[in-house]
Amino acid sequence: MNLLRSNGKNTANQPVIVVSGLPRSGTSMMMRMLAEGGVPIITDEIRRADGDNPNGYFELEVVRQIKEGNFAWLKGANGKVVKVISALLEYLPQEYQYKVIFMERESKETLASQKKMLDHRGQNSRLSDEEMEQQFHQHLAAIKPWLVRQPNMEVLYVKYNTLLAEPEPYCEQIAEFLDVPLNQSRMLAVPDKKLYRNRVVTER
Amino acid sequence: MKTLILGFDSFDPAVFEEMAGKNQLPNFEKLSQQGGYAKLEVCSPPQTEVSWTSIATGLDPGGHGIFDFVHRDPASYTPYVSILPMRKGVIGVQFVPPYTAKTFFEVAADMGYPATALWWPAMFPARLDVPMDTLPGLGTPDIRGQLGVGTLLTSEDEVLKKTTVVRLTPAGKDCFTASLPGPQTQGREGLRTISLPLSLDVLDQNSARLTVGPQQFTLRLGEWSEIVELRFKAGMLFNVHAITRFIAARLSGVIRVYVLPLQIHPLHSSWHYASSTSFSKKVWKDVGPYLTLGWPQDTTGLEDGCINDEQFLNLCQSIFERRIKILDYLMNDFHEGVLASIFDDLDRIQHMFFHNRMDVVQDWYKRLDRFVGDVSARVAEWSGKYRYLILSDHGFSNFRKKVHLNRWLLDNGYLLMKNGGDDLTGVDWGRTTAYAVGLNSVYLNIAGREGQGIVPAENVENLLDELKSKLLDWKDVDRTSMIQKMRLKHETYSGPYTRFGPDLVVGYAPGYRASAETGLGKVPATALEPNNDHWGADHCMDADAVPGVIFANRDLRDFGAISFRDIPFLAIGKHLDPSNLKPPSQMTGEGQKDLEERLKGLGYL
Repeated sequence: MNLLRSNGKNTANQPVIVVSGLPRSGTSMMMRMLAEGGVPIITDEIRRADGDNPNGYFELEVVRQIKEGNFAWLKGANGKVVKVISALLEYLPQEYQYKVIFMERESKETLASQKKMLDHRGQNSRLSDEEMEQQFHQHLAAIKPWLVRQPNMEVLYVKYNTLLAEPEPYCEQIAEFLDVPLNQSRMLAVPDKKLYRNRVVTER
Repeated sequence: MKTLILGFDSFDPAVFEEMAGKNQLPNFEKLSQQGGYAKLEVCSPPQTEVSWTSIATGLDPGGHGIFDFVHRDPASYTPYVSILPMRKGVIGVQFVPPYTAKTFFEVAADMGYPATALWWPAMFPARLDVPMDTLPGLGTPDIRGQLGVGTLLTSEDEVLKKTTVVRLTPAGKDCFTASLPGPQTQGREGLRTISLPLSLDVLDQNSARLTVGPQQFTLRLGEWSEIVELRFKAGMLFNVHAITRFIAARLSGVIRVYVLPLQIHPLHSSWHYASSTSFSKKVWKDVGPYLTLGWPQDTTGLEDGCINDEQFLNLCQSIFERRIKILDYLMNDFHEGVLASIFDDLDRIQHMFFHNRMDVVQDWYKRLDRFVGDVSARVAEWSGKYRYLILSDHGFSNFRKKVHLNRWLLDNGYLLMKNGGDDLTGVDWGRTTAYAVGLNSVYLNIAGREGQGIVPAENVENLLDELKSKLLDWKDVDRTSMIQKMRLKHETYSGPYTRFGPDLVVGYAPGYRASAETGLGKVPATALEPNNDHWGADHCMDADAVPGVIFANRDLRDFGAISFRDIPFLAIGKHLDPSNLKPPSQMTGEGQKDLEERLKGLGYL
């Protein structure tokens, strides 16, 4: 485990910060923003930057094993940020407090981005986009009411599309939500519209 | 933790939404516009005592054991009031708490916070083992240990449906005497009613002087007296104290003075009226006297014609104002913990006026809105994090027709009577398979469970299906469905008390409700009867037909559907029954596999 950056504060009583959402909803970008802002991040860098995520994934491989009860990596995670996709949030242990930054993106864009990533990985999708979109809607419709009922989780929803267009208000909200000083000017430099490649064009 | 809860019994979402749409409820609307408004899924059946108990515990009736206003003893089929259970002990018959499931008040107290519940139903008698302050609500008896009826003092012979009538005896020109019947004591010759002599001097058409014991005061025509403290001498060294209010309803021609039900005196109660005892006394002394009956807004007096609409509304208004004053007093010293206060005047007003005087009902919603404005302004000055909730236990609807369910069961061959009789004592249990007791409950006459049960276990399921289907098919003369949902016990309830619940919960459609006779297990002559009573609206229907409301100082939109099970979490941040919180992967059904397959393909699983 490699802590990329630490603000040196005593974090023992702080909640674990979780960046979550569907894959390809902007979670890596948010991880990078927080890292730039000065939040210590937890990553092992096993999954390297690639064409889908040129700036890196900021993931921790072992997080995939929380369903099997592997939580050891959470020790010492207080005050630090880790990426946990939305489908794994329910397996986070109750004894920790979490502040969850949940990325939301237009579902069609998320799907388009995922499809490209699947292609790059040589994977096929058994379901049509419409069917998959429906599954995502169902998943998000179930996860939001569940999240809001978790006594140990506070959630901030961040809209990817708005964040790209206007990052400043969100940076302030994130700092307020996390209740830690953040280097907002460095955070603001992260959202890169060049990487906004799978946008939905609304017909007028 | 700092949580303030206002409970508005029967606050209806449809009325709210209609009035808010016309900008008539700006203070509720303010909370609503901030995202803090939702309809509240209430438990089944949506009865006041059931619903507030489910809200306090986060449990359905299977978890706390109050299923209906009226339960029955399966051995004898005898109906009894569920929220006023009594047990025989070494010191005679005593009231016992109607449930023992943990409330969020108790959990907050366990966490070391002060917890106060004002006028919350089913909290009489006080549970002295729970370190919280209470002034109990619905279910608090009168000094006779009953739910309470008033007394009409009248100069003419009258017979009323429920109210006790006492004849005023002439004792000179414009002077009358009477004996006010009070508590009952057990003597050698059985139960004895202790009375208090009183005299009435009619001064003119608008005033009279009433003398009760050592007290003398003037009654003005149509105006309620202040709360009067009475003392009934029950023995050499034993007095029973009571409180009540008088009103001179007529002072010319036939003289009529009405007396509210005699109520527990908080300073001198022989029962555990409140907890702590010092709390109820402190409130009485610091704020002033308050009525203690669980149903102090005397709808019975109004229904029996002892008081008129205006006098009833004035009574409601004075009760409301005194309760506001008490809450206000407690808020002055409220720094942490949970403080909850239920205001139930709206419920009584809607029972009486929802069907024919909507102006009166809407006026009360506006009154509540002004009150919420005052409280919200005060709460806005609090610093730090706090929770502010406004709830109702159910909504409201018209009650056009009374359903005599036992008659339907009889007409359809499920219930058979011996010769004569119109209640459960006349039932031929050897041939009866189902019976109704309570306002939403049907029981099968199950062998081994009921005293004279005949339905074998292997027939239960089929019989339930048959009854469910037939009752759902039962139509009014205009083909309207009278029952919109029939709920089976084991589909509706969970928890240790489920087996004590009714086998079928009857969800009446709006406009219909079980008759009071059905509640007591009676079998009138017809199955359906137009409701021409003053009590023309109700809520004991299907839970889906009468949702409640919730307002909060937080955004409620992400919750999806909010139910009574969520209230402990919203109140104190803890779920009292987390078993109902299904994780998202269990909510998405077959789609979960597709989702996981996609995540694996993307390298996230």
